[in-house]
Amino acid sequence: MSLITFVLSHSISSNPLTAWFGKGVSIDPAAAKAYIKEYHFNDPIYIQYFYYLDGVVHGNLGISPTKGEPVITAIAQTLPYTLQIIFFSLIFTVAIGLASGLLAARYAGKLPDKLSRALYIIGFASPPFFIALAVILFFTLVFPILPTSGGIDVSITPPPNITYIPILDALITGDWQAFESLLSHAILPSLANALAVYGVLTRILRSSLLDLMKSNFVTAARARAIPERKIFFGHAFKNSLVTVITLISLLFTFILGSTIFVEYVFSYPGIGDYAVESALQIDYPSILAITLTFALMIILANLVADILYAVVDPRIRYR
Amino acid sequence: MLAYNTETKIGSTIAIIFVGTALVAAIGGRHVLPYSPTQINIGDAFKGPSLAHPLGTNYIGTDVLSQIIAGAPNDAMVSFFVVGFASVFGGLFGAVAGYLAGWFDEALMRVTDIFFGVPAIVLGIAIAVVLGPSPVNVMFALAIIWWPAYARLSRSEALKLSQANFVESARLSGVSTRRIVLRHIYRIAIPTLLVYATLDVGTVVLAYSGLAYLGLAVRPPYPDWGFMVAQYQNYLFKAPWLALTPAVIIVIVAAGFSLLGDGLREALQREVGRQ
Repeated sequence: MSLITFVLSHSISSNPLTAWFGKGVSIDPAAAKAYIKEYHFNDPIYIQYFYYLDGVVHGNLGISPTKGEPVITAIAQTLPYTLQIIFFSLIFTVAIGLASGLLAARYAGKLPDKLSRALYIIGFASPPFFIALAVILFFTLVFPILPTSGGIDVSITPPPNITYIPILDALITGDWQAFESLLSHAILPSLANALAVYGVLTRILRSSLLDLMKSNFVTAARARAIPERKIFFGHAFKNSLVTVITLISLLFTFILGSTIFVEYVFSYPGIGDYAVESALQIDYPSILAITLTFALMIILANLVADILYAVVDPRIRYR
Repeated sequence: MLAYNTETKIGSTIAIIFVGTALVAAIGGRHVLPYSPTQINIGDAFKGPSLAHPLGTNYIGTDVLSQIIAGAPNDAMVSFFVVGFASVFGGLFGAVAGYLAGWFDEALMRVTDIFFGVPAIVLGIAIAVVLGPSPVNVMFALAIIWWPAYARLSRSEALKLSQANFVESARLSGVSTRRIVLRHIYRIAIPTLLVYATLDVGTVVLAYSGLAYLGLAVRPPYPDWGFMVAQYQNYLFKAPWLALTPAVIIVIVAAGFSLLGDGLREALQREVGRQ
């Protein structure tokens, strides 16, 4: 992945120096010389790539030409905000997805099922920026209680860095004003993310529930005259939860994709917003580093999902 | 097959209107549009929907309907090129890998793993930025990230087919590998790829409009659906139809192809079941 973007960013533009250093090349030849030395632009491309990877493992991702600070600093500032959003998005996604999946399966073929299918198709066909705009429009005109832009009120000083996750820091230091502001700013972007991705969960939960309701153990439970309601929630739903857990890493990937647009629309100071800003200003070191960060997050999420899966389903534990 | 059920009917109608509009707008150019999509007419700014301007006018008085029609060819070109390229390039690659198995298969799968390791849109942004903003560059960027899914799909078909008796007998009668892959495997995988591609046209439209929304595809005043939303969202409260119309059009097109693809898949399954 880093190889693809790296090679592209070096081979497409005739002079990688302009790409990495910005437009300041002609103004400051001395700094440009330092850059050539720093990034080894005079060496062959695979050597340059080796130096880049060497920097990456030592925490040196280069310096952003637009921000004028190390890329790693910018990522450390924006990533925690995105992690907050992803956390709340996952909660909203699972809540909405479970509710509508349960309704659709319980009333299969009836109105709630058809309604959830229609909503699923519309949600699936909506670009995330449209959902974000619709959420902003709705919550400004109909329900104006939550802020629709930024990560924290400008008047409130952010809590000191302890865990690096602002909302946790506010909680630890007991700064309720900051906590409330951070939380209220995170809700609407998270809701927009959830609305953009929950459909997959609904659809898979529905079909898994319907399959389970046809399975042998459900027939056995029916034969024992256990009420249908109890079979549905006690037997079928409990078993379908495994499906939900396996879906979480997929949902995580989807949320990462949609959060780029959502953060940009809500001007939320996360890594998605940073990605768009650096894309618009053609800031290669930042884009390269952001792509790496996303890949790393997905690898970690898959790892966590695998572990969770083993915790929930004893059958796969010793394989 | 297109009149398979209500959903397929809706889907195919939307698809035909979309393709038809795009073709007419691409061939006819300015002459088929009610107004010029770039004409500035300050006196007419922010007109709501009316008979003269069915979708209203924007902040400099340009007719929104004309812009929507003029934006259609971009989305059609990008989406059909990307799924077409992916079906042919990815499909053939996957067919070869599934048939040959061994190290080639292993290598291809590791390459596709790379692409699945990051959200498509992130990679799309990175490549589009490197190539520079233009619809054609975004098209190439999307094509680069789109083929692995088709390679995997076609590979799984090829794995099934390579054990089939008719492939076995073709191999025994000395048919060349190239011919087996092309005539006995890829050609049979085509319907499956086509159904997936139909579903996928909507997804490409979404990805393209996302990149266009971020300003990576076109420069003003050139009209484009995703970019129109970005341009007009500042007037979300003053003139909501400006940003919402192109967005809703994107939703309709994407939903249409997804309905059509779903319907085709059901029809194909029924067809296979009947045989």
